[in-house]
Amino acid sequence: MLSWRNLWRHPSRSLAIMASVVLGTWAGAFILSLYFGMADGRVKIAIEQEVSHLQAHHPKFRDEYEAQWHIDIGRLDSLLPQMPSIKAWSLRSQAQGMLANASGSNGVQINGIDEVAEDAVRGFRQMIIAGNYLDSTKRNQILLGKKLSEKMKITTGNKVVLTFQDAEQEIVSGAFRVAGLYESPNAPLDELNVYIRRDDLNVLLGTPGFCMEAAVLLTGEDKVAESLAWWKLRSPDLLIEDWRAISPEVALVLSTLDFFSLIILIIVLIALAFGIINTMLMAVLERTREIGMLMAIGMNRMRIFFMIVLETLLLSLIGSPIGLLFVWITVEWLGRTGIDLSGIAGNVMKDFGYAAVIYPVLPVEKVGQIILLTIGTALLSAVFPAMKALRLRPAEAIR
Amino acid sequence: MDTVIDIHNVSKIYNQETVPIPAVNHVHLHLARGEFAALVGPSGSGKTTLLNMIGGLDSPTEGEVFINGTAITKLTPNQLIDFRLHNIGFVFQSYNLIPVLTARENVEFIMLLQHKPKQERIRRVNQLLESVGLSDKMDVRPAQLSGGQQQRVAVARALASKPQFILADEPTANLDSKSASNLLDIMEKLNREENMTFLFSTHDQRVIDRARRVITLVDGQVASDTGLTKITH
Repeated sequence: MLSWRNLWRHPSRSLAIMASVVLGTWAGAFILSLYFGMADGRVKIAIEQEVSHLQAHHPKFRDEYEAQWHIDIGRLDSLLPQMPSIKAWSLRSQAQGMLANASGSNGVQINGIDEVAEDAVRGFRQMIIAGNYLDSTKRNQILLGKKLSEKMKITTGNKVVLTFQDAEQEIVSGAFRVAGLYESPNAPLDELNVYIRRDDLNVLLGTPGFCMEAAVLLTGEDKVAESLAWWKLRSPDLLIEDWRAISPEVALVLSTLDFFSLIILIIVLIALAFGIINTMLMAVLERTREIGMLMAIGMNRMRIFFMIVLETLLLSLIGSPIGLLFVWITVEWLGRTGIDLSGIAGNVMKDFGYAAVIYPVLPVEKVGQIILLTIGTALLSAVFPAMKALRLRPAEAIR
Repeated sequence: MDTVIDIHNVSKIYNQETVPIPAVNHVHLHLARGEFAALVGPSGSGKTTLLNMIGGLDSPTEGEVFINGTAITKLTPNQLIDFRLHNIGFVFQSYNLIPVLTARENVEFIMLLQHKPKQERIRRVNQLLESVGLSDKMDVRPAQLSGGQQQRVAVARALASKPQFILADEPTANLDSKSASNLLDIMEKLNREENMTFLFSTHDQRVIDRARRVITLVDGQVASDTGLTKITH
């Protein structure tokens, strides 16, 4: 009762601590939601626009990216429709080569795609920012990334020459006309990857009816383990990997998410702790005489300690849920509208493969962690002022 | 006569390691149950220091303080707090009530610390506040009471724990004549009717005039003592 009444002795001061707890909880949780939103966005981009959920290659293909290590398209086309939870798949031919025009040349990865399947897997058609998507009726068309086109001063309608090794390791070349320019959320990849029709590439490679990469999009991330096992069981001769193995840097983002989110939260909580220590210390020093009197009349040190700690705990118990309510409102709102950083950091975000629009996400399991850490911080912050109170000597305190 | 306070050769020296300042110097004193005594002397004579040592708020550099036969100088800090809770009532110059509690709650608080049952607490609070003439101010907070009324609540609080004696440090220093007289009437009545022992530290002639025993301290030593008073109840 005394702790509760003490809270309202100086309502403005109690409200200041409560506001600190509200702000600390809100700031900590909101920063976490931004971080989780960014990571979620990165994973979404990686899966939906880069590597898909699963990929299969010939076990030796990744060693030197040679066309001789290919997979039969007919075999995959008959197997993959039976895969559980499959949403779409794309069978690609690939070659490492040079793209050249009158102004120079650039090393590129040449991706031969089935334009319909690729669009189903990656939504590729929507990434076109100039010109047109590949047309199945036209031969030797090429799509270039915006960044590469700027670097080589190429625009739609221009002709470029691709040079690479075929399956017999002979140097082959082909002239292609730029049908369109694309822009994906991952700018570095845009500079490296060019896309032509698979049939066109296979003709040059000498690998008709084959592909070098099969990318599979599933109905959800939770289906990956099951579908991976299913595919591996049926194709033991292939190297089949999920997106975590194919894109370890994205998996790393996820694996470090808990650790870094904890660090962010701790930094916010340290700031909160200093605020609470300062205010509670003021509250203790102001009540020196009263605490001395309480000791004099027989209130033991443990009770005085708990009285101070309880005051802070009560403020935290009120402030923390309010802070979470605010963060819930913020995340709900911004989770729908998104935070568009394209104006201030869009290119930087794209350079690292992150979306320019962040949709904050706060996992439910983190809410409990935030509450516990906020209250824990408040309690720890109360310890120093409470210890200060215990060091008072009643005879001096009441003088 | 039943001795409540027994002080044996008590000395208190401040700043022993730097510039020693003797505050109390080899004091011997005995107070019997039911006494109404005043500790007087000029400022710096050691009144408050001696009172603090009797109340276990400060420890002597030398000597022993016995309360009802218990050497409180030998108690650990926690034992001392518990001892004060059950044996000593304090009245301070500046009342020192808890501002966020009502008069009733201030008096009841010490009994809560003693884990007294609710019924007993209610009964005793009513009785004590009635005895100090504040039965109509029970639910009022200290800020809404006059100085005299606050000090009367402080007296009721000091009595709530049923202590062996009450130590009052300059209890009338902040009160006007009427309030001081009223407070002293109440204390005298409690002394007379409940045989409660009072020891005041005071400069106030109004208190000295009412005291039945006056102990004068000068430079930390007992300069005069009118001696044990005859206690008739």
